[in-house]
Amino acid sequence: MTTRTPLAAAHPRAGFRQAYAAEWIKFVSVRSLLWTTVATALVPVLGAVFVAATSSLQPDDTVLGGSLTLSVVAQMLAAVAGALTVSGEYTAGTLRATLSACPRGGTVLAAKGAVLATVLYVPALVSCGAAYVLGGALLPASHPAGEPLPALFGVAASFVLAGWLGLAVGTLVRHSAGSVGAVLGLLVLPSVFGPLLGAAEPWVAGFSPTAALEKLTQTSDATADAVGSLGAWPSLLLVAGCTAALLLAAAVALRARDV
Amino acid sequence: MSARGTVPTVGHMIEATELTKRYGGRTAVDALTFRVRPGRVTGFLGPNGAGKSTTMRLVLGLDTATSGTATVCGGPYRRLGAPLRSVGALLDAKGVHGGRSAYGHLAALAASNGIPRGRVAEVLDLVGLPPATARRRTKGFSLGMGQRLGLAALIGDPEVLILDEPVNGLDTEGIRWVRDLMRSLAAEGRTVFLSSHLMSEMELTADHLVVIGRGRLLADTPMRDFLAAGPARAGAHTLVRTPEPERMRELLEERGATVRLDARGGWRVVGPGASAIGDLARDHGVAVHELTPELSSLEEVYTELARSSVEYGTGGANGDGGAASARSRTRTRTTVGKGHVR
Repeated sequence: MTTRTPLAAAHPRAGFRQAYAAEWIKFVSVRSLLWTTVATALVPVLGAVFVAATSSLQPDDTVLGGSLTLSVVAQMLAAVAGALTVSGEYTAGTLRATLSACPRGGTVLAAKGAVLATVLYVPALVSCGAAYVLGGALLPASHPAGEPLPALFGVAASFVLAGWLGLAVGTLVRHSAGSVGAVLGLLVLPSVFGPLLGAAEPWVAGFSPTAALEKLTQTSDATADAVGSLGAWPSLLLVAGCTAALLLAAAVALRARDV
Repeated sequence: MSARGTVPTVGHMIEATELTKRYGGRTAVDALTFRVRPGRVTGFLGPNGAGKSTTMRLVLGLDTATSGTATVCGGPYRRLGAPLRSVGALLDAKGVHGGRSAYGHLAALAASNGIPRGRVAEVLDLVGLPPATARRRTKGFSLGMGQRLGLAALIGDPEVLILDEPVNGLDTEGIRWVRDLMRSLAAEGRTVFLSSHLMSEMELTADHLVVIGRGRLLADTPMRDFLAAGPARAGAHTLVRTPEPERMRELLEERGATVRLDARGGWRVVGPGASAIGDLARDHGVAVHELTPELSSLEEVYTELARSSVEYGTGGANGDGGAASARSRTRTRTTVGKGHVR
């Protein structure tokens, strides 16, 4: 104990700002999280190139929808990143250190959510925008362009929602593999099982963040029969509401459960 | 939450009052009441599964008590404004994401409590982790390096330290380092509460003991008193060396002493004290070359205490002991006798 940086004495607090700074450092200091985020940003661009190279765009599809074909996959990666930010802490036992440093679980969860929004929103916006521009240049001009604005802002928001969904599921499941499986199930299963449900399909599939994303990208896959007749933005709001409810449940669980 | 340099106050205490934690039908911590005071090292002893780690998690607010309270610095842990500046905790698990570097882990901890980043390098130096190691991912860390990283809980310069098995996995040098560190921190007026199953180590480190078994308090007493008033003075004996061993043994056994051959040579005498043996030898003209009183070691007292606690517990509990083990506990407590000061 020879050298000591004097610590500011006057009423130090561990509030949201400090928790955000800590969560930011934690996010960028783990390679798996960084790579998942980088992949989230790269996949839509690669998708646009892939669709153009294979000329696989459906005749009735828009350039926007075609360019963002793989945004559904990127959204899944965003959800995985969200799940890993918290389930990794459970698996490694880091959450004890985290909650010892900031005992208010709600603050920790909010800070994690804010970091996810930071690393997902702008990169998703740039990436999907780039995919659209690239698609416009590479895809045959015979297709309608679609309306990229303001849809792209909603697309980016749907990535953040997916990340938050992952965060909520990761908190509730408390296990890395389990939470990744669960959140991917939430994203994929509605569209897999939807067709088996007949008339109920739009009701089930319509709740999935994937449905909101497909509507926003104006792809021909987003038919009213498959994902409901709800418009793109109301659909996004619906998904936001469900995610918020799950996050609330996660915050309550985090507070109530032993770590 | 006073700044360093101020006189330690009673406020920097750990207090458990009727602290109870049940998991389903199993009671892990059973109405524990104790205080850990500043300015000394308090050892937390108990056999595996006695509830030590659970108690520490309850104090840190990580687990919620079924009933009773645990406070640090005068209030519940969850109410602390910047907990790391008041309390430094090391729990049994390494608790670091394998993919993150030690530096990253500590930088995040520092940021979470508004502690300047400069403290990270200082505390790494303090716990003896070289900068190059600290920049590597912790996945490859040995148990010893993990413990050193855990001891970086000192990052917030806390008044209270809660350490679960801090020397676990450390080498001899590391163990001595932790001992000196704990003692110097206590000498600075801080509150040091550490659990260990290494009795010999605890004997050298702790001034005061809190002993639990099956979640119940068995003793809360200064180390000296604990050793002096252990159950039946377990293991206390006198080592006697003499050129006339057979004569000496006869004399001692006539007076009801138990005489055994000591592994180091000479007699190991249980019963009369060193002065009585010396007088006896003089009265009969027997030369004595060595006469060494050996007090019970902490290990012996503790083993005796733990054995009786476990024995009573399992003896009464066919199935899962409710009333039976409650009855046995009162008997265990009386065994401690005078050691049970509070």
